[in-house]
Amino acid sequence: MIVLARRLAQLVAVVLAVTFLAFTAMNTLGDPLFNVVGFVAAVDCDAVEAGEIEDISGQGGTTLGDCAVVAEAREEFHLNEPLPIRYGRWVGDLIRGDFGTSFKNRMPVSTVLADRLPKSLLLMGMAEVFAVALSVPWAIAAAYRANRAMDRASTIGAFGMLALPNFALGVILFYFFVVKWQIFPSRFEDDNLALRLKSLVLPALTLGMPLAATYFRLLRTDLITTLQEDFVVMAKAKGLSNRWIMFRHALRPSLFSMVTVFGLNTAALIGGALIVEQVFSIPGLGRALVEASIRDDYPVVLGATVVIATGFVIINFAVDLAYSYLDPRVRRES
Amino acid sequence: MSPEPAGQMGRGSLAGMDTPPQVDPAEQFGVVVARRLGFGFWIAAAWIIIIVAAAALAPWLPIADPNETGVGGRMDGPGWSNWFGTDNNGRDMFARTIWGARVSLIVGFFSVLLGICVGGTLGMIAGYFRGIVDRIISFSVFVLLAYPGLVLALLIVGLAGQTLPIVAMTLGIVAIAPIARLSRATTLAYSEREFVAAARVLGATDRRIMVRELLPNVLIPMGALTLLGMAITIVAEGGLAFLGLSVEEGFSWGKMIVLGSSPRTLREGPWVAMFPIGAMFVTVLALNFAGDRLREYFDVRELGIGAA
Amino acid sequence: MATPLLSVTDLQVGFATERGLLRAVDGVSFDLAEGQTLGIVGESGSGKSVTAKTLMNLLPSYARVEGSVMFDGRDVRAMAAERERHFWGVEMTMVFQDPMTSLNPVKKVGEQIAESLRVHLKRSRREARDDAGDLLQQVGVPESKKRLTQYPHELSGGLRQRVVIAMALACSPRLLIADEPTTALDVTVQKHILDLLDELREERGMAMILITHDLGVVKGRADQIMVMYAGRTMEQADTATLFSEMRHPYTEALLETIPRVDMASHSRLVPIPGSPPDAVDLGQGCPFAERCRYCSASCLIDQPSLEQHRQGHACACHAPVGTDAGAAAHAANHETGVTPAGLDMGTFATAVGEKT
Repeated sequence: MIVLARRLAQLVAVVLAVTFLAFTAMNTLGDPLFNVVGFVAAVDCDAVEAGEIEDISGQGGTTLGDCAVVAEAREEFHLNEPLPIRYGRWVGDLIRGDFGTSFKNRMPVSTVLADRLPKSLLLMGMAEVFAVALSVPWAIAAAYRANRAMDRASTIGAFGMLALPNFALGVILFYFFVVKWQIFPSRFEDDNLALRLKSLVLPALTLGMPLAATYFRLLRTDLITTLQEDFVVMAKAKGLSNRWIMFRHALRPSLFSMVTVFGLNTAALIGGALIVEQVFSIPGLGRALVEASIRDDYPVVLGATVVIATGFVIINFAVDLAYSYLDPRVRRES
Repeated sequence: MSPEPAGQMGRGSLAGMDTPPQVDPAEQFGVVVARRLGFGFWIAAAWIIIIVAAAALAPWLPIADPNETGVGGRMDGPGWSNWFGTDNNGRDMFARTIWGARVSLIVGFFSVLLGICVGGTLGMIAGYFRGIVDRIISFSVFVLLAYPGLVLALLIVGLAGQTLPIVAMTLGIVAIAPIARLSRATTLAYSEREFVAAARVLGATDRRIMVRELLPNVLIPMGALTLLGMAITIVAEGGLAFLGLSVEEGFSWGKMIVLGSSPRTLREGPWVAMFPIGAMFVTVLALNFAGDRLREYFDVRELGIGAA
Repeated sequence: MATPLLSVTDLQVGFATERGLLRAVDGVSFDLAEGQTLGIVGESGSGKSVTAKTLMNLLPSYARVEGSVMFDGRDVRAMAAERERHFWGVEMTMVFQDPMTSLNPVKKVGEQIAESLRVHLKRSRREARDDAGDLLQQVGVPESKKRLTQYPHELSGGLRQRVVIAMALACSPRLLIADEPTTALDVTVQKHILDLLDELREERGMAMILITHDLGVVKGRADQIMVMYAGRTMEQADTATLFSEMRHPYTEALLETIPRVDMASHSRLVPIPGSPPDAVDLGQGCPFAERCRYCSASCLIDQPSLEQHRQGHACACHAPVGTDAGAAAHAANHETGVTPAGLDMGTFATAVGEKT
């Protein structure tokens, strides 16, 4: 129990650090003011107030009155206060569910997130399901025929699959299944669950296939190693069938690496989702992040980044827990 | 004694029991398996050299101007005059593919270099000094790692601008965390070894130990990692370009791919996207393969004896 | 004599390796009657484990086997080829050297014992569990109920080996093969385990093959003994005869390696000089020639065949211990100070007695 509490505390610390990093990056590298009021930010409004500058009409089409807008913006977004205080404010808001307001369209960021997040989660979930459904039987079959034709071909195939960037794979799949053969819809259809799932098949495959290749390689190698262990010889000596041994003795200990990577892969999954959502025009969280990033819409970028990074940390935490459950030896020690 | 399968027992044995014959089955001392880099390695290396040379020498090669429109017809398929066809502005794809390599490779190389220099050093410091220094560095690395690579890159490029140096630096920063982690683990493993204790007893300063004793050993797995790392960063840059977040001036393979993958372009001329895809695929494959082989090669030498 | 339970005739096992055919077992024959114990003795690489694995159908696919193995009138090799499911683990079972690695670390001990019962005897989960508990009691594991739910790493080495034995006995086999069952254990535990095996064997009328490198282990526990070297049988006899009238130089050398209580303190232990030969490249003569102090010229070129010296005692040697030929060869070597194989007779000197 104590261990659990300690872990949770670590979790919170990491999440805080993560969000602080993002917040700081946003506010120091970029200029939030610019995006609220546009080119006006370039005007030296302090000088105007002090009466030093009279005519600013030549500067990008601004007027004196715009300085009032700047001052207002400064107030509204607390841009005059020091960084740590702004961060504190922001975290406070966050806990209350207020992610701020989008600079562009003035919608609450939380609405945007709530709208986009489920689609991305669905996409990533499907991708993992595909990945596992593909890789586990494949790995078992390959380990069973280790070093023979099927296994060698599989290893090469998996290697090749991993060399293809996911956007390339996405484009290829898009070309064949949407443009050429027209089996799948070219954009995301939201009317009912079935259509939604159908729209997500190709993107989920794009994400899932490289994952499957990774899982395959790991599981196959671990299975082969496990099958060489003495307790497998003992099991054979007990007259147990190959099938029994594979599924009831060898499989579980061999899953460890795969499970570990499962959690770590979430990072790749999220990054990949960004791209895949672009290729297949899925209105998910990744796409929101990219668009907001290009538009310099900081609250959205910050909100999305925080959700993503926090989610990632939590998933890793969960994987750790799962790991200790799977392996009784680890369980004992923790 | 006949070698025919007819006399076999143990048919239907599980895969794992069928260790290849290099592993000695009859309780005698193991056979040393000589590891070679292999034929495949040299092919991969050859491709890498070719593509790097082509990219470097691009301005002087007898190919078309990649930006000149109207070199061929609009959307011509691959043919004699334009080996890779032309794109929707009539530009020669072959030349563009070669010129695209420049950005991809430069970004790939320098980002990995940055990652190894900074990440490697940080990891070594953390692994060597341990204690509070290690805790701070490890925590920071962990926090950095919480950002999926592309998200972090996106964040930085979105904020800092889209020039070549920035893109390269960004990817380098993204590479720091995983490299630091590896470097730390390797350093930890090595600093337990006797030769470090010996050096310390002889009065060597920390800095000397780190540079003279640990560094060469840590560099080996990292060197092999360079090729693999380049493969990853090239793909990452491609991803960024695809999202419209890579260099604004000039073009890389990623940018070419995104330009070529609108549904219409794909329908009329799939080669516009497919050739850069192919080039990237082969290059990444070659880097992966060569990197893998190198890693295995040095791993085994480390251990001394092969298989058994 | 009634039909022996196990009858092995001219067994030959080779492995196809890169360097050629590795002859792990080269012409081994023996019979084992119901309820009897056979001790197979030899160094690492002598082929004793491979013999056991052949009997148990545990060889990899690149093994080449010839010869016949008959169990209770059934052709074991044919059963292997036909993938017979309910023979091994039921009638014939095996216990290995290292109990830690013989057990699946992520499965409970009780489950692993119950497995055979469920697969072979079709017992239900509960029945199998109860039977497993009984078995644990029979092998002398205290608190058997509690042990059933534990994992292998929670038990000590001796307990683990008992668990492995319980696993092997689950389906009441008629033959138990024990390959170095005590080598991985503490010395004090070794005796307990060997005694346990003896007890169980008697109670169940089970035959046993006890494989070891230590002649001392089989002395009081085997009915007959087979000494193997380089895949061949060097000497084969019932126990009493082997120890009283040993003929093969290798057997004699093995016996000398056993330290005895009545030796003077600080006396040197007597190892066998040299190391086992390369099984791929055996050469022509007797495989032991290079390490033998009775070596004569013919030993280097002519492989001795296994000959019956008298009923129940066979030996493969040109100059056996206790014969004229043997004495002559030994004397000749002693004279020249070196055997025809180039071995310096001085390496056989010990601090106690002049036994060279």
